[in-house]
Amino acid sequence: MEEQKKYARLFNDIDSQALITLGVVLLAIIVLIIVSQRGLNWIGNRMHGQVRFRIFALVPMTRLLILITALAIMVPIIIEPSLRNMVTLLGALGLAIGFAMKDYVSSLIAGVVSAVELPYRPGDWVQIEDTYGEVKHVGLRTVDIQTPDDDLVHVPHLKLWDHAIYNANNGGTSLQCVASFYLHPEHEAGWVRKALHDVALTSAYLKFDQPIIVVAEEKPWGTHYRIRAYPVDPRQQFLFITDLTVRGKTVLSDAGVPSAMLPPDAALDTRNAVGSAYSRGND
Amino acid sequence: MGEQPSLADTPLWTVVELDHFHTPEQTQASQWRRSLRSVSTWLVGKSSAEQQVKEAQALRPLAEARLANLVPPIDWSPAVDALAQQLEGEDAPVTFFITPPFSGHASVVTQWAEKHDVTCLTPPTLSELGEGSTQWVERSAIGSAWAIPSLERYFLRHTQGIQGIRAFLERALSGRLGRGVIGCDSWAYAYLKQVIGIEGAPVFTLQSMEGAQLSRYFAHIATHAGRPPPVYSTRTGKPVLFEAASQQKRQAPNKELQRLAAHCRGHIGLAWHYWRNHLREPKAEDEEGLWLVDVLAEAELAPDTGDVATLLLHALLLHGGLDDHALGQVLPFSHHEAINARLALQRKGVVASCEGRWQVTPLSYANVRQLLASRNYLVDPL
Repeated sequence: MEEQKKYARLFNDIDSQALITLGVVLLAIIVLIIVSQRGLNWIGNRMHGQVRFRIFALVPMTRLLILITALAIMVPIIIEPSLRNMVTLLGALGLAIGFAMKDYVSSLIAGVVSAVELPYRPGDWVQIEDTYGEVKHVGLRTVDIQTPDDDLVHVPHLKLWDHAIYNANNGGTSLQCVASFYLHPEHEAGWVRKALHDVALTSAYLKFDQPIIVVAEEKPWGTHYRIRAYPVDPRQQFLFITDLTVRGKTVLSDAGVPSAMLPPDAALDTRNAVGSAYSRGND
Repeated sequence: MGEQPSLADTPLWTVVELDHFHTPEQTQASQWRRSLRSVSTWLVGKSSAEQQVKEAQALRPLAEARLANLVPPIDWSPAVDALAQQLEGEDAPVTFFITPPFSGHASVVTQWAEKHDVTCLTPPTLSELGEGSTQWVERSAIGSAWAIPSLERYFLRHTQGIQGIRAFLERALSGRLGRGVIGCDSWAYAYLKQVIGIEGAPVFTLQSMEGAQLSRYFAHIATHAGRPPPVYSTRTGKPVLFEAASQQKRQAPNKELQRLAAHCRGHIGLAWHYWRNHLREPKAEDEEGLWLVDVLAEAELAPDTGDVATLLLHALLLHGGLDDHALGQVLPFSHHEAINARLALQRKGVVASCEGRWQVTPLSYANVRQLLASRNYLVDPL
């Protein structure tokens, strides 16, 4: 009997007024979250440049603030907020989470961490494991990534704990693009380097306040050239790479520079077969 | 204590080094106002946001003959003299004179060359540029002095189109071609600076004009038709023109023309177009004077203007205007897409044909520049 009274003291008396208050607060949270998330995303999607990323960065932060405020209002209505009560409740909650909903709650906590540490925010171009694309929405449990193939991938936040997050633009407008050219070993390398540099310089998509670098690397099958440059807007990355590739091929072809004889994929396969080290690259 | 010289006393035409160029007062405020107006138009549609003292319905455009008297074409000779004065002390092999579109670099350099008996070079043809031919550079094996009125006619933004100008500027900057004066559009200059690297050569430009100077200039050109008529602002109802500096000093600061100066970043060529296009006369016969309608109520570009339109506008500005054929050569999409985008912009009044080339219209220039700057495109230094 004494034990029962002790647990009953954990919770406040929930009368009809408390229920109405809780209902109103819950409804307000839902409405506020929907309005703020959709509204900010709507505005952000119509902006360009740095403003777009600043607005997108507000999306998870706003939701987190709304949730914290709601909890601060709701918890004292349900529970008598004493130290003993909180320890008891959190202990019980921890036990339940530990056994039943570990991954789900881990994702929720990682979601809070992502809102503070900002490893990704809407508008960023990220790679998490094999998924590369634009972050469209940072939810409570998942981050939604739209791939270049127009698939929407929901990646749980818990990947944050033990997976590398590659963020190509990190909340900014500079995103490096790489266009590759595989050429026959016999050609005038100095001329090709200058020509590819000009290809980047004359692209309509080029962002001028970032450097253009042409990298040449000798391979068993020929020479691998890469143009590293930045488009004006990260969303133009595929158009930019295509523009560089198409015009680069035209220039090289007009100058009679032959392509590599052995397909690079085949060359890589051969190399992997003999156990050569393989380093990861964007290209 | 002596009286501080006011802006109304300063000379209208000053040629300064590029580093000494500054935009007029309130330019930043003008940009914010434009952004705000653009966003509000986008959200709630076009509206006459500001209260008008004089209703537009009570006014009509001026007859062409009267307009030609009141706002004659700009006489660039004072700018030519100011440039000549700056060039006297210069001994660099190449000197640049840059201005934004419609602001007279070609006229100034042409007149300067005529006055000093200097040969003006002929620009290469579009086919020469398209083929990457450098024969025109060989043709430019010239004597001691030469001039180029419009350097923007000497390149196209593709791999072949920059080879000739690169070879030419390399020779010119090394002094092998003698001494030259190059007039160049400020956008083309910004691009060539990145692509070719023309640092080190002296660069001059026209200093911006403040509202008080614009007021003096417009009053001065109107005196060709006799005493200038009173001009009032439809926004405030106050006079905007002052014949003499002394008269202006007695009056309150000229807010309307300062707004115009800020909107045009102080460029007289652009301000002249606004002035010419915004003068109205009353429909009622018994009313006197002219009215200046709000200069900011212009064709605005929506903040969600697409990439195709943006790239097209940028290409037009970098080249100082292009024809349809050349446009197809410098844009990364198909010819018909370029034509469609150009037609859409033409319908909105953002681009117009001038001597066979499509150009951003003077009244849209400020909005286009701001749009391109907000999207991180390369913009001119003026």
